[in-house]
Amino acid sequence: MVVWGRLLLLVALGSGIVWLLVRTALFEGRAQAALEPRAVLHAVLDTWPGLIWLARHGILVILAAFLAIRSDLTERRDWIAARVEALALGALALALMSASSHAAAISPGTALTVAIDACHLLGTGVWLGGLVALGALLRAASRDADADDRAHAVMAARRFSRVALVAMLALMGSGVLNALAQVENIAALVGTPHGRLLLAKVAVLVPILGLAAVNRRRLLPALPGPEAMRRLVAFVGVEAMLALVLLVLAAAMTLTTPARHAEPVWPLPVRLSLDTPLDGSATRWRALLASQLAVLGAVALIASFFSLRRRAPLLAGALALAAVAAAVGLPPFVVDAYPTTYRRPLRTYHATSIASGSAIYWGQCAACHHGTPADLRSASTSRRHAGELFWLVSHGRPERGMPAFENRLEEAQRWDVINFIRALGTAAGSKSLGAQVQLDGAWLIAPDFTISVGPLAPGALRDYRGRRMVLLVLYTLPGSRARISELARKYNLLSTLGVEIIAVPMQTSADAIRELGASPPVLFPVVTDGNAAIIATYGMFASGPHAELLIDRQGYVRAIWRDDTGEIQVQVGRLNEEKSVPPFPDDHVH
Amino acid sequence: MRVWQVAVVLNLTFAVGLGLGYAGWGRRADALDREFEAARAQVERLERERQACAAGGRAGEQQWDGRGVVRAIYPHLVVVTHEEIRGLLPARTTGFPAASPQLGDSVRVGDPVRFSLRGTLIDDAALVTIERW
Repeated sequence: MVVWGRLLLLVALGSGIVWLLVRTALFEGRAQAALEPRAVLHAVLDTWPGLIWLARHGILVILAAFLAIRSDLTERRDWIAARVEALALGALALALMSASSHAAAISPGTALTVAIDACHLLGTGVWLGGLVALGALLRAASRDADADDRAHAVMAARRFSRVALVAMLALMGSGVLNALAQVENIAALVGTPHGRLLLAKVAVLVPILGLAAVNRRRLLPALPGPEAMRRLVAFVGVEAMLALVLLVLAAAMTLTTPARHAEPVWPLPVRLSLDTPLDGSATRWRALLASQLAVLGAVALIASFFSLRRRAPLLAGALALAAVAAAVGLPPFVVDAYPTTYRRPLRTYHATSIASGSAIYWGQCAACHHGTPADLRSASTSRRHAGELFWLVSHGRPERGMPAFENRLEEAQRWDVINFIRALGTAAGSKSLGAQVQLDGAWLIAPDFTISVGPLAPGALRDYRGRRMVLLVLYTLPGSRARISELARKYNLLSTLGVEIIAVPMQTSADAIRELGASPPVLFPVVTDGNAAIIATYGMFASGPHAELLIDRQGYVRAIWRDDTGEIQVQVGRLNEEKSVPPFPDDHVH
Repeated sequence: MRVWQVAVVLNLTFAVGLGLGYAGWGRRADALDREFEAARAQVERLERERQACAAGGRAGEQQWDGRGVVRAIYPHLVVVTHEEIRGLLPARTTGFPAASPQLGDSVRVGDPVRFSLRGTLIDDAALVTIERW
C-alpha cells in the first residue's frame, strides 16, 4: 500500500505540474507560455490559484518525503504517527483546493462556502481513497487461501463500511449545500452545462448508493463466505469505477461557468407556475383532491419506514398516490415555457431603459396591445417571466398574428420593451398608492435613474439605497415654485430625518438650478440632464405638472402625492418607525 | 530516528516555517502596505502644500482643487454641490467660507465652476479661487 501511495503521490505531483503549465498557457492566452519559465513563475507567484498551487504542492512534496522514509513501524506509537501524519498532510493538500475553487468566488460568505467545499473534497477523499484500497485488499484476500488474510480483509471491509457511511453523508450534505450556493435554482440546474453535469453526478451517485446499500445490508453480514466475498469484490470494483466517473464529472464542473453565472436554457416546453390563480370551482376541487392524496402518500411513506414486513407494498402505494396526486393536481399549474424563460434580462430596470421601451411600445406594440383583449397590462402578462416575454417578443405568436421582432429590434431594445411592460403593469397598481405610507407594504420598485447635476460626475438613485430615503419631486415652473421654496426651507429638517430631495424639472434645462432662483437657496440636487427618461418612467406612476414620490431606503416607492400638498414629514416619520425592512429589490425584472 | 519523532519534527518545522513566514513576510507585507498608503497620503499632502505655497499661502497650508455647481452665494459663504475633493471631502453639497467677500461676484447660482480651497484642515479651509468651468 505504501508503494501505491508513493506512486499515486508522484502521479499527483506530475499532474499538478501539467495543470500548472496548462493554466499558465490559458492565463497568458498563448500555448508557448507554458514552456517559458518567467510566465510560469508569474502564474505561480502573482495569481491566487498559483499561490494555492504552490502551497498544495509544497505539502505534497513533504508528504512524498515522509512516505519515502523506510521505517520500522512495529511500535504502536510509530504506526499511529505514520498514518496520522500522512492523513493530515494528504487532507490538508486536498482541502486547500477549495481555496481556489468556484466556492472561493462566492461573496459574501466565502469562508463558509470554502469550508463546505473542503468538507466535500475531504468526504470524497476518504470515501474514494478508502474504496479503491478496500477493493485491492478484498481482491487479494479473495485469491489468497490464507484464512488470516481473509479475516483481516473482512474486518477492514466492516470498518470501512462505517467510515464510508459517515463520509458519504458528509459528501452528500456538503454537495447539497454546494449546489444551493453554486446553482441556486431549478432553471440553472437543468438549463446550464454546470447544472446538467451536477444532474449527471447525481445520476451516477444513485447506483453507487444502491450498490453500497446491498454491500452493507446483504454482503457484509454474509462475509467471509466465498460467494459473498466474490460478489463484494465485484461490487466494490463497480462502485470504484462509477466513483471515477464521478471524479471526471466533478473535474468537468470545475471547467464550466458556475450555473448561477450562466444563462439557463430551459429545455422543456412547459414549467410549473405557482402564481397561477385557482380560478373556477373545478380547479379548486382538483387542488384539494391532489393535496389530500399527497398527504395520504406521505403517510404511506412514513409508515413504510416503520413496517419491515409491508415496506414494499407501502412504498409502492406511496409512489402511486404521489403519481396520482401529481396527475390530478399539477395540470392547472402547468404553463407554457420557452428556452429563454429563465434568462436574465440584458438591461437593468432603469428609467433610461423603460423610456426607450416606451418609445418602441407606443410606436410598434400599442396598436394591438393597448386597450384590447391582448392588453399587456393584464394580470396574465405580469405573471409571465421576463424571459417568456422576451421569447414572445423575439419570435412572435404567428397563431395570433403577432410578428417576430427578433430581426426588427436589437436584443437590448427587446429587453427595454419588457422593462417598460413591467413598469406599465405596476403603474396600474400604483393608483392604489396614495399620500399615506402603508406600513410593511413595500411592493412598488422604484426604477433606478441617473442623477446629473450640471457637468459633474453623475450619481444614481441606487446610491442612496440602504442609506437615505428619497423624495423625488417632478415639477413644473412657475406652478411648483412655492412648493420648491417650501421644500428648500425644510431641507435641513428633512435631511436630518434621513431624506434626500431630488428635484426633476419636467423640461430638461441646463439652467434648471438658476431658474429656481437664489432665495430661498435650493440646496438639494436638481437634475439638469436626462429628465425625459425620469419623467417618462415616473410619470406612469404619477402624472400631472407636479408630483412627489417618497422612496424608502430599500428602493420602493411608498407614497405618491399627485399635487404639492404632501405632508412629507409625517410620512417620513412613519417610514422611520417601520420595524421590518424589506429586501433590496433586484436590479433586473423577473 | 523513530517515525513518531520524524512526524513531530516535521509538524514543528511546518508550524515554525508558517510562523516565521508570516512574521518575516506576511507582517512585512502588511507593514509595507501601510507605509505605502502613508507615503502616498504624505506625497499628496506635500503636493497640496506646494500648490498653496506657490499661490501665496502660509506655511503648513494645503490647497485642494474641486469641481462643482454653485447653489447659493452669500458675501462670506459659497454653497457648492461638488464632486469628491480628494483628501478632503466626498461628493456632496458644502458651504465654503469665502476668503474675500468679492469672490462670489464672478459666478451665479447654477454655474458649473472650478474652485480652490486653502487651509490646514477642513475646519479652516476657505475658498480662494472660483471660476466658471
